[in-house]
Amino acid sequence: MTKKYEITIGIECHVQLSTKTKLFSEVDNDARGKEPNSCVSPVDYALPGMLPRLNGEAVKFAIRAGAAMNAKINARSRFDRKHYFYPDSPKGYQITQFYSPIIGAGFIELPSGKKIRIEHAHLEGDAGKLTHYDTYSLVDLNRVDTPLIEIVSMPDISSAEEARDYCKELWRTMVYAGVTNGDLYNGNMRFDVNISLKLPEAKELGTRAEIKNLNSFRSVERAVEYEYSRQSKLLDQGEKIVQETRGWSDATGKTTPQRSKEAAQDYRYMPEPDLPPLNLSSEFIAAEVARLPLLPHDYRAKFRGTVPDDLIEILLDYPSLSARLAEVEDSADKKIVKRLANLFSSVLLAEENASLLNDKLPEAPQLIELCTMLEQNELSSTAGKEVFIKLFEPKHAAKSPRDLAKELNLLQENDSAALEALVASVLEDPATRQAQADYKAGQAKVLGFLVGQVMKASHGKANPAAVSEILKKQLA
Amino acid sequence: MEITDETMNHLAELSNFSLDSSEKQALKQDLASILRYISKLDELDTTKVEPTYQVFEMENVWRADDIFPQDADREALLALAPESLEHQIKVPKVL
Repeated sequence: MTKKYEITIGIECHVQLSTKTKLFSEVDNDARGKEPNSCVSPVDYALPGMLPRLNGEAVKFAIRAGAAMNAKINARSRFDRKHYFYPDSPKGYQITQFYSPIIGAGFIELPSGKKIRIEHAHLEGDAGKLTHYDTYSLVDLNRVDTPLIEIVSMPDISSAEEARDYCKELWRTMVYAGVTNGDLYNGNMRFDVNISLKLPEAKELGTRAEIKNLNSFRSVERAVEYEYSRQSKLLDQGEKIVQETRGWSDATGKTTPQRSKEAAQDYRYMPEPDLPPLNLSSEFIAAEVARLPLLPHDYRAKFRGTVPDDLIEILLDYPSLSARLAEVEDSADKKIVKRLANLFSSVLLAEENASLLNDKLPEAPQLIELCTMLEQNELSSTAGKEVFIKLFEPKHAAKSPRDLAKELNLLQENDSAALEALVASVLEDPATRQAQADYKAGQAKVLGFLVGQVMKASHGKANPAAVSEILKKQLA
Repeated sequence: MEITDETMNHLAELSNFSLDSSEKQALKQDLASILRYISKLDELDTTKVEPTYQVFEMENVWRADDIFPQDADREALLALAPESLEHQIKVPKVL
């Protein structure tokens, strides 16, 4: 559909880093499933005299996150205070990097090949969590000063779909880089989306609205679609767009104006006097960059041409599957890799087997052996799936697929003498006489029924292609 | 720089202070005289002077990522808040 207005989108994304402790205190950073205010230190509480102590691991995570976004890592960076009064922040300010962030300009390449530029990204502490009731609000400080990196994109995104793709690719990049748990449901990554419209011939960007705190790719896409229709209606009527912060509701599918935290956006930034600046050596930075594992674009490059593109994209949603497939790719040929990709998608991505994804995957040598057996018709595809699923059971997990297939009596019968005997026994069965006559009379599709009878007689172990050939010969 | 009533109201709001009009008047004069005193610095040319962000010449000070048990437990910390409920700090409704 051609749209009347051009849409310009920039996205800010907060990524919670999965360090063991918080950014400035030595308490547990993983509050999942824990009681409110059980992961809080006097530093998080901002008691008088408490001083922040920087978590060195968070600095290393930020370097890896930056490198994963093809960004320049700034050797020199420092922290600043951003002041505001709100119950989610006992200090009365957030410690962030306003003037000198650790991560400089970079880019994220979408699966389509389009590059979205990153303006910069910085380290900062998260705020606490508020829950609102009728007459009061409750404050849980478990999340205070969880390390975040805030990633600020350039306004390079030009559709709702592209906004979703960018968020998804950023999520994948951060998860593969190993810097976040990436649990969107629990707010590990949150997106603020800036949207403005303009006529194609207009030189200047329109006034933007910022949609805060989106936590799914779908809501990013829907919020952009909604904003396009809201803003375009206003513009059509000759009205002005108000620059404001808006909230999104998944339930109503609408954005609504939010009262701003600070009546005037006046954060009175000042250098944080309690944290000495960072001045990282190039060796220190290089050592962290070298620790980066394979990223989504590396996997695409590895699998492209062997596995269909759409299947690659699906598998990329499952880091453990991509990693194991890549391991297999290192030592097996393309046919095996393709078979394994299909096995992953037909078995593990089927609804009824979804729980297997939480279990330990079979090892690469086991998977190579299994796929080789399938490739050489030693196992039927049904039997192959059965062996694969059994390999997830602890009692079978250490076995070789060949031993397991033998044990389960699933090895396919390829021996032609044995198959011929089986076929002969089925043809002698009076129950197949009518079918044989029909086939000879020219009803070719009856062959399927006869193959089925032989398969049944073999308890599923006969190689159906071989059986079919023998039947054709004997009935000719 | 002159401190207007508007500036006073803005500063009070940013600082989360409720000030009555006599307090505002007094603070207005204090602030104006503080700014006059500090403005002495404007007489110097500081264009080539690096701002002082830190008074100690330290860099790269950080700790290991290890969890340490805290001396102050949850209930002790919650007891410092004016009100608490269900192990959380209770505050007037905000939204």
